[in-house]
Amino acid sequence: MSAKPRVLIVDDEERYRTTLRKLLTVREIEARDVGSAMEAFSELEKASYDVILLDVKMPEIDGIEALGRIKRDHPSVEVIILTGHASVDAAVEIMKLGGYEYLLKPCPIDELVGKIESAWERKAARDKRQKAATNPHEAS
Amino acid sequence: MLKISSYSIRRICLCAVPAMVLLLGAPLWVFAGPEAALLVLPVAGACFVAIRSLMKQVATARAQECFLDEQLIQSQKLAAIGELSAGIAHEINNPLAIIAQEIEWARLQFDGVTSDSPGLEEARDSLNEIAVQVERCREITHKLLDFARKRDPLIQGADLNKLIEDMAKLVEKESSQKGIPIIRDYRTDLPPIFTDPPLLRQVILNLLNNAVYAIQQNGAITIRTRIPESGQVEMVISDTGVGIRKEDLDKIFNPFFTTKPPGKGTGLGLSICHSIIVRLGGRIAVDSEPGKGTSFAVRLPIFHNAQKKD
Repeated sequence: MSAKPRVLIVDDEERYRTTLRKLLTVREIEARDVGSAMEAFSELEKASYDVILLDVKMPEIDGIEALGRIKRDHPSVEVIILTGHASVDAAVEIMKLGGYEYLLKPCPIDELVGKIESAWERKAARDKRQKAATNPHEAS
Repeated sequence: MLKISSYSIRRICLCAVPAMVLLLGAPLWVFAGPEAALLVLPVAGACFVAIRSLMKQVATARAQECFLDEQLIQSQKLAAIGELSAGIAHEINNPLAIIAQEIEWARLQFDGVTSDSPGLEEARDSLNEIAVQVERCREITHKLLDFARKRDPLIQGADLNKLIEDMAKLVEKESSQKGIPIIRDYRTDLPPIFTDPPLLRQVILNLLNNAVYAIQQNGAITIRTRIPESGQVEMVISDTGVGIRKEDLDKIFNPFFTTKPPGKGTGLGLSICHSIIVRLGGRIAVDSEPGKGTSFAVRLPIFHNAQKKD
């Protein structure tokens, strides 16, 4: 487990994602940002991430569809949905698809960092359990 | 549509009864004498009472129908505004998120800067003020989304007195420090109600907070529960606050209507209360006298075992 989570920001608002990346980097969270779901899929093939911050309303592939594909291809990664429009139906759909959290923009940076860290801890604990199950000697 | 006012009732009674006395009494007088004709009077009196009672019932039904029409129009109006406001809130939240982050970033840049220049302090102060105002906008957009959210109420049996008491204890912590006691007048044999407890708690909390705000310092809040008519329970929250002007009473449940100074209220609290109560199958009414206080009465359907889901 690395000392800090690796985060991928997926948002079509360029200024939002770049400033968020800088704010996370200042807090020693390694972050990269991409502007669409397609770019996120290709980035996930190239590198591993602990947490994804995913916008809902994006052109071509929206956040809900992207979440389904990410959890199908990379089940261990935790996904936090960040959206400007909360709806109970969308929240239920996101939780069913395996999303970790559902946050409404604008979200205070301290709250967001707290959620990233708890998502990362959950992922780390699950990875450890899976490792122990597949290789009990190494885990102990 | 039959429209009968109390004036019409009086007129019908005043015309119908003398006509009956004349039509029945005159032939009897002629054929059976004046004693027999006098017998018409008690019959006419009974008819007068019966007609009057019937007409009153029709008028009451008509008034109730008007009230329900008004409630329906208000609900439809609020639903339309809800749709619109959710769209606006969504569009505003995204730029707001960018502004909030830029403030954070600018603050970080200022953190390392040391200078005696008064301009720098001014810029920091200005940044803090922008952050305060962004937070204010955030509160508004999030409340708008709460207002428009279409969560189906999760209906279950609940004890209204207990729901009220939970919220009263919460508000009492603040109100007692301001010299505002909360007087309870609960009906102890209140039957369970058919409602969504979290939604109803939201309404009670909002009404109690409004009551504290209306009093400000030294006064009293009274909470009363009772059974006004079969199949319903009523909760009345009264305060001894500033009251609401008569011309404002009609607008009190409209979204964005507020009598609070700028920045102190979004004007959405009571419209959310109204929308919740309507969804719970109840109704909410307000009565107020400027300088004396305000009462909010909420009526809700009583819980029936037949409505309970297994």
